[in-house]
Amino acid sequence: MTDSALHPHSHKPVNWLRDVPEYQGILSWLTSIDHKQLGILYILSAFAFLVVGAFLGLLIRIQLMFPMNHVISQEAYNQVFTVHGTTMVFFVGMPLLFGFAVYLTPLMIGARDMAFPRLNSFGYWVYVFGAIMMFFSFLAGGAPAAGWFAYPPLSEKGYLFNSGQNYWALSLFVTGIGSVATGVNLVVTILTMRAPGMTLKRVPLFVWMILMDAFLVIFSLPALNAALVMILFDRILNTHFFDATVGGSPLLWQHFFWFFGHPEVYILILPGWGAISEIIPVFSRKLLFGAGVMAASTVAITFLSFGVWVHHMFATGLGFAPLYIFAVTSLLIAVPTGIKVWSWLATMWGGKLKFTTAMLHSMAFLIQFTIGGLSGVMFAVIPLDWQLTDSYFVVAHFHYVLVGGMLFSLIAGVYYWYPKATGRMMSETLGKWQFWLMTVGFNGTFFVLHILGILGMPRRVYTYPLGMPGWAELNFFSSCCSFILVFSILLFVYNLIWSFYHGQIAGPNPWNAWTLEWLCESPPIAENFERVPVVRSRRPLWDLQFGSGGDGENYHA
Amino acid sequence: MDLKNADFTSIFNVATAQNKLLVDLHWFTLGICLVIAFVVTGLMVAIIAKFRTPENDDGSEPKQIHGNTRLEIIWTAIPMLIVTVLGVLTAVTMIMVNPAVGTKKPDVIVVGHQWWWEYQYPKYGVTTANELYLPVGENALFEIRAADVVHSFWVVAFGQKMDAIPGHPTNMFVHPTKTGLFLGTCSEYCGAQHGLMRIIAHVVSKPEFDDWIKQQAALPQQSTDPAAVKGKELFNSATCVQCHRIAGDAEATARIGPDLTHIATRGTLGAGVLENTTDNLAKWMQNPQQFKPGCNMPNMRLTNEEAHDIAVYLENLK
Amino acid sequence: MHNHSTAVAPPPPHPLDSNLKMNRNIMGMLLFIGSESMFFLLLILAYVNFHNQYGTGSMAAWHLDVFKTGMFSIALFSSSFTLWLAEKAHAKNSGMAIVWMLVTIGLGAVFIAGQALEYTELIKENLTISRDLFGTTFFTLTGFHGFHVIVGLILLCVALWVMARGKEHEITEAGLTCVSLYWHFVDVVWVAVFSVVYLWRFVQ
Ligand code: HEA
Ligand code: HEA
Ligand code: HEC
Ligand code: CUA
Ligand SMILES: [Cu+2]
Repeated sequence: MTDSALHPHSHKPVNWLRDVPEYQGILSWLTSIDHKQLGILYILSAFAFLVVGAFLGLLIRIQLMFPMNHVISQEAYNQVFTVHGTTMVFFVGMPLLFGFAVYLTPLMIGARDMAFPRLNSFGYWVYVFGAIMMFFSFLAGGAPAAGWFAYPPLSEKGYLFNSGQNYWALSLFVTGIGSVATGVNLVVTILTMRAPGMTLKRVPLFVWMILMDAFLVIFSLPALNAALVMILFDRILNTHFFDATVGGSPLLWQHFFWFFGHPEVYILILPGWGAISEIIPVFSRKLLFGAGVMAASTVAITFLSFGVWVHHMFATGLGFAPLYIFAVTSLLIAVPTGIKVWSWLATMWGGKLKFTTAMLHSMAFLIQFTIGGLSGVMFAVIPLDWQLTDSYFVVAHFHYVLVGGMLFSLIAGVYYWYPKATGRMMSETLGKWQFWLMTVGFNGTFFVLHILGILGMPRRVYTYPLGMPGWAELNFFSSCCSFILVFSILLFVYNLIWSFYHGQIAGPNPWNAWTLEWLCESPPIAENFERVPVVRSRRPLWDLQFGSGGDGENYHA
Repeated sequence: MDLKNADFTSIFNVATAQNKLLVDLHWFTLGICLVIAFVVTGLMVAIIAKFRTPENDDGSEPKQIHGNTRLEIIWTAIPMLIVTVLGVLTAVTMIMVNPAVGTKKPDVIVVGHQWWWEYQYPKYGVTTANELYLPVGENALFEIRAADVVHSFWVVAFGQKMDAIPGHPTNMFVHPTKTGLFLGTCSEYCGAQHGLMRIIAHVVSKPEFDDWIKQQAALPQQSTDPAAVKGKELFNSATCVQCHRIAGDAEATARIGPDLTHIATRGTLGAGVLENTTDNLAKWMQNPQQFKPGCNMPNMRLTNEEAHDIAVYLENLK
Repeated sequence: MHNHSTAVAPPPPHPLDSNLKMNRNIMGMLLFIGSESMFFLLLILAYVNFHNQYGTGSMAAWHLDVFKTGMFSIALFSSSFTLWLAEKAHAKNSGMAIVWMLVTIGLGAVFIAGQALEYTELIKENLTISRDLFGTTFFTLTGFHGFHVIVGLILLCVALWVMARGKEHEITEAGLTCVSLYWHFVDVVWVAVFSVVYLWRFVQ
């Protein structure tokens, strides 16, 4: 394909993904090293696992619908929430990150592909392999059941002897390696392949956040891998890292896991923030407010997030100083995050808002993420964490940031970039329905969990006794709403498929947006750009339209 | 005893001096967070109202603003201020709730087992299980340990929870300020029955406590009821004694399961899964798995009257 | 399957080009090494964590032969130097490059042999990975380092092989630099491991 630029067909615009000559046939996908195909594959795989994870989430809600309910046994329940959490974080969250990053980054910086296309496909296939390995454990005598952070000694073979826990560790280890590879790939791409004129000050905020995200991946995943190696050795080679009976230290695992675990949660949210930072300006018809400060605050968060991990261990009685330091850092992180929230609001202020489905999701994100963030800050106040840790309040917190935050923003991203990737618009009518159902379903399902936490319901309980005040009612309500939520997802998936065949042709720039990806055809030709554009501001396409003013200077309506 | 008429289970139900401090701080923080949430939502509403694109829009772009240093300083400074305040209050409250233990000896040692709780009163040489008794108005020092995996001790109305980590004993102070029955549940995931690893705490007046502890410290009275006598033999001949201890019974010294020395004085069985009656006891020992699936007590293949006799024996252990 | 050689190639130098000028493979290798360092840092911390409690330290004092392992370590350290010589020779494409590569590989192999020897002796004293916390942390840490040395050796062999195939398909500067970066890294890790595991006890 070296000479694709000379191929006639790559000149006449192809306006539907299915017609792209290079993408004909399954094989062209399975063997692809094209960042666009890999990006799409990532996101589709994430979908597949999302449906699995969502089903498990629903199963949790069904089991908790009534007190002393016995839809599934306690063993089954413990496997369900373990696999639910693991799937959602590692097989939905991470591939969504990489999918969006790998698809968009080269387009946004005016590159023809990633720095290492083969490494790119390696990363994807390693992820697929790892994910399959974990689900294989179902066949191999029992799924993992130690929770997604698998605290020893419970995760040791003395207490969970079936092989599921080994598969869990191996699978995460393998995917971890793939993630680091893709992280490296992204950093190198962003640092060495930007179009002429695109200084690091001018890269779209999305790219900037992906850059920080990649650093987080590169430096936090090894911690998980180290911990996984130790638990595997404990289970297979009879070592004693976490075996307190001979002096091993269960706390060591907690430190190592959360040293990875907290950066991980920012790894999950950063692409979402990036998507929002692209979508809100376009549908407010305004320049992103304080882009420089935005970028800076992202850097601050990246650094801080390596120094807060003990806030997951506030109830381990480590003593005043060791705990308090981490309360301070955890509180501090609210400030740069706040800067983002305010800047997004300020971007909308004084704009001309267009309430597309993408925009609606972004606005819902803003409020829901704030709520989730604020409950996070409440944990950071250690005495409150002593009350709330490991209660359903925590479950509420992280579903607000993960579902209400990460997923809402990425769904917004899907509505926004779907035309670019497929050449067709998604149905706004279906979209609006899905949005409202999902917003109602989501808040209904998870808001009441705050109250359950306050009423003393611990997380990870397969059932709860009769006669606890409010527990039965609130759980029942939450469970009912979770059906609406899951229905909204099915609607979303239906929309994805329907629009692929019946959506109207999008054309290169349906939203009249300003970043480089909208300069390419929809879908972009195999090598993205006929000619690599020259960039003079944060909004090259604005410059093309008005000659100048991409950075907001001297433009008067 | 019916757990349903326990005191209201909520972190805002102040049952200890410590929880008073936590709750005050909680309301304050919650207040701030609600204000912030309302500000953000309010702004969003205002934006939706004011800045939707008008129908007769000329398609021109609005005024482009790349930033505003004054604003940015403000919305950095104010949150900075807020978190500073929260940070200070955090430190103060932490020190007040968990002062240095120093050389103090624990009043109560809590040991988490899969999936039941052992309570030791070292100062009285008492060991019991699943039902905690505390005198009101006295600041008790807890030491929290784990026998197998990580558990977490949380009586909701006491406020603070504290993890039980193998090889890493932890401490906390509990100063009950009102009497009553308070509930909680183990709150670190610990396996099959984490969900029914309930905590039952009685806060009673000092005299009541003294009576209780005296009774626990004494050897259980031996009933002469023929069934009970037979039951005792069965208990010692059946494998019960491989796991359970009964003070004064030379053969029953194992500590794998809950101490049964004064089992008759407990209101519930299996950490609150069953009311403690002779029949329930018999049912339980015949098939614990039915009431607490996955628990570490096996089905003790006993005939009905064997079970009944043992139950009678145990129900006399006062 | 597309041939993306052009796609990977950097955009033509442009007056406004603001990209880092560093070679991509080298940058990638450096980032990878950064990640690996985290991994080893945590394994070392795990060892340190148990060093004083549970007498891991005294165990080390009791069982490890600092002098012997020190000798083998010197082999490893010097291999970094010979690799550097190889690079310089290769830069001014002298034939010595191949010789120095061979020496480097030799020294690396000596180190591995030494480690194998040490392991067998320890296991003879039935000090195994599953015996106690010293065994656990010692074998895990040194074992992973040993594994990295072996990977390094393989890379060196590949590099050597490419070199040996002569002028027309010459190994790229960058390629060689990557391999040597990795080798130096493995070396530096051993400096840390050796000081913590073998030398620390002399401090007390
Ligand atoms: C996308 C993922 C994500 C994100 C972004 C966050 C964001 C934050 N999280 Fe959360 N967290 C999780 C995912 C996430 N978390 C998960 C998965 C768990 C559970 C793990 C498990 O146990 O299974 C968890 C658990 C968790 C705990 C442990 C709870 C416990 O188990 O006891 C804590 C404790 O401090 C915490 C804190 C925070 C804080 C301070 C933030 C901050 O970053 C929030 C900052 C944002 C805001 C504050 C809102 C916007 C700010 C403003 C509007 C400015 C004004 C605000 C103030 C001045 C306060 N989180
Ligand atoms: C991203 C992370 C994520 C997501 C999406 C979800 C989704 C859901 N989760 Fe949960 N959950 C976790 C992460 C997540 N969860 C974690 C980490 C735990 C802890 C596990 C543990 O304790 O070990 C947990 C635990 C957990 C519990 C507590 C179990 C317990 O402690 O006993 C419950 C209970 O109600 C629950 C319910 C649900 C429900 C009903 C959903 C439903 O919302 C499912 C419906 C799905 C969606 C709402 C997603 C919508 C997405 C789309 C429509 C497509 C988007 C796709 C693109 C943008 C490409 N989850
Ligand atoms: C293999 C060990 C084992 C054996 C044998 C055993 N038990 Fe138990 N028993 C336990 C454990 C463990 C528990 C705690 C179960 C739980 O609550 O999770 C328990 C709980 C109990 C309880 C409830 C105690 C309380 O505080 O609620 C009673 C009563 C009891 N056993 C009686 C018996 C009798 C009678 C026998 C013999 C017929 C017996 N057990 C045999 C392990 C054993
Ligand atoms: Cu014990 Cu959970
Ligand atoms: Cu965290």
